[in-house]
Amino acid sequence: MKALLIDSTRCIGCRACQVACKEWNELNAEETTFFSGKGYQNPPDLSPSTWTLITYNEVEVNNRFDWVFGKMQCFHCNVPACASACPVSALEKTEAGPVIYHASICLGCRYCQLACPFKVPRFEWNKIIPEITKCTMCADRINAGMEPACAKVCSTDAIVFGERDELIAEAEDRIRKNPTFYIHHIYGKEEAGGTCVMHISNVPFNEIGFDTNIPMDPIVSKSSHAMKPIPYVLTGLGLVLGGVSWVVNRKKELEKETKSGMEG
Amino acid sequence: MTNHWIDIINTDVAMVMGSNIVENHPIASKWLTRAKERGAIIINCDPRYTRTSSFADIYCKFRSGTDIAFVNGIINYALENDFINKDYVLDYTNASFLISEKYSFNDGLFSGYNNDTRAYDKTFWAYELDGSGLPKKDLSLQHPRCVFQLMKKHFKRYDIDTVCQITGAPKDIYEKVCRTYTSTWAKNRVATWLYAMGTTQHTHGTQNIRSYSILQLLLGNVGLAGGGINALRGESNVQGSTDMGLLFHLLPGYLASPTKADQTLEDYKKNNTPKTNDPKSANWWGNYPKYITSLLKAWYGNNATPDNDFGFNYIPKRSADYSHISLFETMYSGKIKGLFLFGQNPAVGGPNTNKERKALDKLEWMVAVDIFETDTSVFWKRPGVNPADNQTEVFLLPACSSIEKEGSVSNSGRWVQWRYKAVEPIGESRSDLWILDALHKAVKKEYAKDGVYREPILNLNWNYGNGAEIDFHKEPDVHFVAREINGGFVQSKEVMILKDLKSFKKGDQAPSFATLQDDGSTSCGSWIYCGSYPGHTPEKNNMARRKKKDAVNNIGLYPEWSWAWPVNRRIIYNRASVDLTGKPLDLKRWVIRWNETTLKWEGDVPDGPWPPNDKYPFIMKPDGHAWLFAPNLNDGPLPEHYEPLESPVENYLSSQQVNPAVKLWYKINPEGNPVGDVTKYPIIGTTYRVSEHWQAGAMTRNIPWLAELVPDVFVELGYELANQKNIKNGDLVVVETARGSMDAFALVTRRFQPFHLNGKIVHEVGIVWHFGYSGLARGDSANLLTSHIGDANTMIPEYKAFLCDVHRKEGGAA
Repeated sequence: MKALLIDSTRCIGCRACQVACKEWNELNAEETTFFSGKGYQNPPDLSPSTWTLITYNEVEVNNRFDWVFGKMQCFHCNVPACASACPVSALEKTEAGPVIYHASICLGCRYCQLACPFKVPRFEWNKIIPEITKCTMCADRINAGMEPACAKVCSTDAIVFGERDELIAEAEDRIRKNPTFYIHHIYGKEEAGGTCVMHISNVPFNEIGFDTNIPMDPIVSKSSHAMKPIPYVLTGLGLVLGGVSWVVNRKKELEKETKSGMEG
Repeated sequence: MTNHWIDIINTDVAMVMGSNIVENHPIASKWLTRAKERGAIIINCDPRYTRTSSFADIYCKFRSGTDIAFVNGIINYALENDFINKDYVLDYTNASFLISEKYSFNDGLFSGYNNDTRAYDKTFWAYELDGSGLPKKDLSLQHPRCVFQLMKKHFKRYDIDTVCQITGAPKDIYEKVCRTYTSTWAKNRVATWLYAMGTTQHTHGTQNIRSYSILQLLLGNVGLAGGGINALRGESNVQGSTDMGLLFHLLPGYLASPTKADQTLEDYKKNNTPKTNDPKSANWWGNYPKYITSLLKAWYGNNATPDNDFGFNYIPKRSADYSHISLFETMYSGKIKGLFLFGQNPAVGGPNTNKERKALDKLEWMVAVDIFETDTSVFWKRPGVNPADNQTEVFLLPACSSIEKEGSVSNSGRWVQWRYKAVEPIGESRSDLWILDALHKAVKKEYAKDGVYREPILNLNWNYGNGAEIDFHKEPDVHFVAREINGGFVQSKEVMILKDLKSFKKGDQAPSFATLQDDGSTSCGSWIYCGSYPGHTPEKNNMARRKKKDAVNNIGLYPEWSWAWPVNRRIIYNRASVDLTGKPLDLKRWVIRWNETTLKWEGDVPDGPWPPNDKYPFIMKPDGHAWLFAPNLNDGPLPEHYEPLESPVENYLSSQQVNPAVKLWYKINPEGNPVGDVTKYPIIGTTYRVSEHWQAGAMTRNIPWLAELVPDVFVELGYELANQKNIKNGDLVVVETARGSMDAFALVTRRFQPFHLNGKIVHEVGIVWHFGYSGLARGDSANLLTSHIGDANTMIPEYKAFLCDVHRKEGGAA
């Protein structure tokens, strides 16, 4: 099974991964102002057009101030809660590792959003036919024998792509060789039953934006049968909310056009 | 760079000072990562905690503009504790040379200073010569006038306490920096020094680099793998542009541009060719006549003959200071009519932008060649200006981007790498080469009809394979250009190389600059590139080589990947990496070594083929030794601390507040050049770049994905200052200097901390300078704040230190 190992001690926060993700997946730029998140972080959060995001964390390690960068994206769980919650199997764990999404069968119920322990999937509220969006681990690239776009452009090899068990061995090796530097934990090795995106770091994971209260067992939705009818209700609600969002956004677009027209 | 990018992995200690390598050379930080993982210690000294600092093992803050005090302190630490590589210092530097009795130093001034001209008479700092014209030496290093003793005296004033009072560096961390860095005096340890614009953009930028060089020489770190003085160039091909003579005082290959003193080619040769009476000095610049003559043959071909001095007088004589500030001061006075801009955006990137934008208003015409509409090309409709009031005729020529054309790119490590066209140019865009070729053809046509002094234009040798007429669809053949730069024989010639006689036929490409001649039999467009393309077919293009095999010493030289000037030497001054018998000082990462059996050098291409100790290692110096004491600079032979033009404190060391040899534009042209006072502007300001944007921003502020990451101009400031000024993160604030003011978003961060300077607390703020009024992401330019003052040698503007004030913009909460 393929996986990504991300070493925050090698990450320089250059965000080439963020841009490469948008370039390969043809995602739009978001309209941002100043820095909407912490430090240089932009956009503020994951969104339908931002599948990976570098976080900027000003922290204190061993009495020394430090600036450490984290990477947010889908963890591609070994036993994904999103897929188990999906009533129609629109989300699928592939043998190669990535958790992929089949838009054509998605009902738009957003169970996956509620089920994900890492709060990753995002819903396209502003589209008439909305989809669930998240990192695909560049499954299309992997199928073609290439590494994910973010790993490809990472100049310091902070993001490494490979076989999951080999990457775990690599991570353990790095920690073993530098035991006073690294936190002795591979985030994602066990979390949520194990994931295909794993992190190592020299600062506690909760200080660089990771939830350290994730159970170590797979999170499987046990109530999916009882909840079968609900998707259709939620879909209806989703359509209404989507419609509202479309109207609001359209109004914004029109305002913008008028404004730029005045600027000439 | 004396060394090259990959070589960073070989180091034991990497000092990053005056550079933010991680943010501004992110790809290169790969090599720093490898070094770190091999156990190297990374030190970062910077006024602000940057992404580089987060990567470093030791971070030491210090105040902008006090680099010399900081580094002189490390030099003093090395001298006081005897942490120096004594053999290296004695054999390879001018430490033992005696200096003239006329040399002295008193209260911040070296001897020979003229108050009226603000210039030094450098003969006061000359070597004392013996009867045969050689510098006198004291190999015991005890003579009070030998360089070593003069240095000890000079640097003694920079004790740790003094340095910390001046720089605001925390004493314990500064001591740790001194200790760690000077540990590389040992023969089996080496340190590299990485610097960039944070070093150069000061009124004492050249002397900043001098202080680094002196330290590296004392520790014996120059010429070795993992060592050296390494300038991280600010743009991908800026090394190539200076190699090709794009500095105002230079011709290609770092030959001086002629001045009025050079009335004939003979004068020029005499004025520029250094001489030595020492048979052990290779004095490589002694070949100056060969390089200038071959350059003239490349430019004027058959029209360059001994009868017309090879066309020497076709080249304009430099009669003034044509540096950036000087040009814009002249433009402001209305004396410049037209301006060509190739990929330059001074309305954002120039210092004192308010003045420089007004200077542009005085132009009759402007041609801007760029891949996007730049702020400069639309200066006539900038905010606050009525386009109807502007009379300048502006042409915007669409250039194609680097991936839409073929050619070479020279990186900071002097590697000249060939690259190919990936896609066709968009729309009507054309390569810079096509634009220049068409311009030349059009101008030549006009001069063919009529004109004053037409020969320099009409006699130009110009044939790049695309016909005599301008044709939109015919690009000049860039291989023709590359072969002309490499050079070759214009007549058959027999050449003595070492002990071998080699014969070349007319039309042969030259294999190396050792074959170039001063009799007009060879041509060469830039002598340092001779050997880059030593044949007639693309297979002979060494720049296009891509073999991944390392050299025998296995230190990452990769000699068959591209080609490096000079003569594919990857680490220059490498003769200093061995002892007098040719044995490497550092055995585990040796650069070159002398093979006693073959009587040849192995490893990298040595600095000249002579056997060990036949010649001194620093072959570009007439005395063959590295200059700890440099009697050729405008502002002194040793680096001395002076304050920036605008500083919050008085010079702690002397009554010379500012570098006494800089040109004071505020006195020469007071209009538009006010200088701020600490009572009104108590805060230090500095400017810098971020990873996400590029220079003046035209290339990145127009890319939506990058505009998304850093959409607005911002000022970074610490919590203490923010509290004092009632500024919260995200507030819109005004930053103000004597020259201008700008709006910016406030980023309040722990990464800026106040400085404690001799009992006084001083704050510093930093602003990204990428922004302007044109393009997708817009904002005020940080250079509205900076001033017209430059370095005493290079005239580079002092962008990195000025005085400002900051306050909340009324109603400006974000």
